[in-house]
Parts: sequence; structure tokens; C-alpha cells
Amino acid sequence: MTHTHCDYSGSRDEVLVAYLYDDIEPAVRAVFDAHLTMCSTCRDELSALEGVRGRLGRWLPPERQSAVGSQQSAVDGRQSAVGSLKAPVIGRRSWWREVPAWAQVAAAFLFLGVAAGIANIDARYDSSGLSVKTGWSKRTDAAGAAVPARGVEIVAPWRSDLAALEERLRAELPRANAQATTIESAAARPNRPAAPLDAEALGRVRALIGESERRQQSELALRAAEIIREVNTQRQADLVKIDRSLGLIQNNSGVEAMRQRELINYLVRTSQRQQ
Amino acid sequence: MTWTDEELVARSIGGDADSFGELIRRWERPIFALAYRTIGREEDARDVCQETFLRAFRALPGFRGQAKFSSWLYRIALNLCRDWIRRERRAPTVQAPEDVDLMDLAAAAAPYESVEDLVVRKDQTRAVERAMALLPDEQRTAIVLKEYHDLTFQEIADLVGCPLSTVKTRLYQGLTVLRRELAKSGASERPRLRSVAGRTS
Repeated sequence: MTHTHCDYSGSRDEVLVAYLYDDIEPAVRAVFDAHLTMCSTCRDELSALEGVRGRLGRWLPPERQSAVGSQQSAVDGRQSAVGSLKAPVIGRRSWWREVPAWAQVAAAFLFLGVAAGIANIDARYDSSGLSVKTGWSKRTDAAGAAVPARGVEIVAPWRSDLAALEERLRAELPRANAQATTIESAAARPNRPAAPLDAEALGRVRALIGESERRQQSELALRAAEIIREVNTQRQADLVKIDRSLGLIQNNSGVEAMRQRELINYLVRTSQRQQ
Repeated sequence: MTWTDEELVARSIGGDADSFGELIRRWERPIFALAYRTIGREEDARDVCQETFLRAFRALPGFRGQAKFSSWLYRIALNLCRDWIRRERRAPTVQAPEDVDLMDLAAAAAPYESVEDLVVRKDQTRAVERAMALLPDEQRTAIVLKEYHDLTFQEIADLVGCPLSTVKTRLYQGLTVLRRELAKSGASERPRLRSVAGRTS
């Protein structure tokens, strides 16, 4: 016999929910089990709520990049006791950022100079105006003329400037390096006089480099995974396109076949009529 | 070696920044999911998630371990969600585009899923999102914590600060509303769990 109205003696809704989530005391569960065998109302409701749970189980949050995009900045921020997670991620400092600004500017000029040298830039300002030519833009027969065949010295004032700049850089860089080493040593051991890098500092640097490499490897792995995902995504989109195109082609083929069939029928009919 | 949350917390308090990073990696996804399902907006959920870890990080020295680290984190996240909802002064809305872009759908498809299956799945997801958005905050929170984070009724009661029976009642009421709304939105799902008949027998 089943009841049409539930007469469960107790907090029926609470027990039903506890039963639904299997978060219920064994004794209460046993009683409710017995009740369920007799009460179709509770059975139906339980079944319906299980269905709701089934639907809820399909609701997934979006899959995207890390919500805590700059978690490392928060972790690093421990020392400064500030660190906002919303702050933009400060990327790993590149080695060239350690070089003084003046040296970067000088290096840029040096690079331009070398590039100009390689390109064999020829800038002239005469009555016809300013003209700039590179070695590559000259005709091949003119290439021989660039060589001082008859002992004529080509005037290239930038070469001497370049040489001077290079000399200066060579002189300045070791000094800057020595200064940086001294500052680092002093910072690491404030009670001791400044000294060159010792074994401890070298070990620390090695550890830092090791850590950096490890992070780079994990980033690389992450990037590889992203690329694979992107490729899969693209593949899916392509498959849909192909699927659509195939459907279209099939449709067209079907229509064409029908026309052919109609034409053949017409020809057969016409030929039979003539006979 | 895998550290427990509590060990990682102790190491973080001791100054090991990597340990806190590990805690973030471990709990970022559940916290984001909690925030997303509670407030229903992806970008804001991301902000809440970040803010949760930031607050946790700042308050870490004060964490005495009376509760589980996860419960503590959930509490911070829930408080932030509550603040967000109060600030917005509106029912959570879900970012659900009205039109269905097949290309987007195809990009989201699992390899074994056809486009038709995917459309159905998306529709069902959207229906759930809409129905959840209709629930009062406390009912939605109870459902999210129970359904997706598998907390016990007692843990939920501790987290939200209400009696155990209230948690159950909220769940029941919320599920009942969802049942009605989902029935309106289309075909009902077959029971995912063991059948009642099977269980009672």
C-alpha cells in the first residue's frame, strides 16, 4: 500500500535533503528508507530532486587562464607586505635591464653603426639634395668601385666615432660590473667590508639561475599545453566547416544527379516517341 | 612529497613564499568556481578570487588553525561575494549570449561531442544559470557549497553562520525552485544518482 499524502513524522523536508545528499545519520536514514517504500510522494520528489542535481552537475564554470593571474606578485609581495594581486605581472627582469641606461643607448648606437657599416650606407648631400644609398642598392658594377683600387682612402668619419665608442664601452663595462658586484656583496653582508663574489654568493646565484630555469621550463610546458589546446580548438572549428561544406556538396550532388536523371528520362521518352 | 594545507600554511607563515603559491594553485580553481556560481559573472568572479587570496595572504599570520584552511578561505570568498552582491544591489546576472554561435560552440566541444550534443549541453547550462540566478543569495550559496564543494551541512552552517536545520531548509527550498524553473525550461534530466527504487530496496 502507498500513501498519496506524506505523513512522515518529523522535519520531512530537512530529512529529504539530508537523504538526497547522503549526509544523514544512519538511524534517521533507516527510518526514512522504510517511509520511502510506502510514500510515493516522497519517492517522486526525491527522484525529481535527483534529476535537478543531475542538471546542476552539468553547470561548469568557464575554463580559462588562471584567475589569480599574478599570484607570484602576491607571494613576492610578502616581503614588502603590500603586493596587490591586481597589479600587473612584472615579468622576469631581462639581463639587459641590468645594464645602465647610458650603456643601452651606447649599445643602440653601436648597433646602428655596425648595421650601417654592414649595409655600407652612403649618405650624400649635394646640389641634387639629400641621397642615402646602401651597398646593396648599388649596381654590381659599382661594387668594385667601393674597393680602394687605386689607393684612394674612403672617408668614413662614423668609423672613427664608432671605434671610440666601442673603446669607451669596453673600458666602462668592467667598471660597471665591478661596481655591481661590490654593491651586491655589501647588501648580502652588511657587517662585512665589500668583497668580490665568494663561494656563498656564487651558490646563491646558481640557485637563482636554477630556479629561473625551472620556472621557464614550467612556463614552456604551460605554453605548449595552450598551443595544443588552441590547435584542438582550431581543429574543431575546421571540422565543423568541413562538415558544413560536405553537406553542401552532398546537396549539390543530389540536385545535379536529379537533373541528370530527369534529362535521361526526357531523352528516353523523346526517343521512344520518335520510334 | 605532498604537504597538507595546514603544513603549507605553517611554512608560509614561516616565510616560505613558494608554499603559499602551492596553496593558491591548489585552491584557486574551487574558489573561482564558488565565486562564479555565487555571483554569476566571470570577470567579477576572477576579481573575487584574486581578492580572496590577497586577503588570505595578508591575514595568514593571524590564522590560528581553529578551522580548516579551506573553510577559512571559503569564508573569505563568501564574504567577498556577499559584499559584491550588496554593492551591485541587483540579482546576479549570468553572461549568457542570446544567440548561439556554432563556431564558438565547436571550439568548446569535447572531441567526442557532436555539435548537436553541444548545443543541448549549452542550453542546459544556460537554463541552470538562469534558474540559479533566480534564487535568493542564501539558498544559492547553500546549494553551491553543498552541490559543488561537497561541504557537510555542519560545515555550511559554520561557514554562513546559521543553524544546521536552516541550511537544510534553504537547500530544500532552493532545489524546489530549481526543479520548477528547470521543468519550465525544457526536458528534465534523468536522475543521476542511483534510482530511489534501487536504493530503497
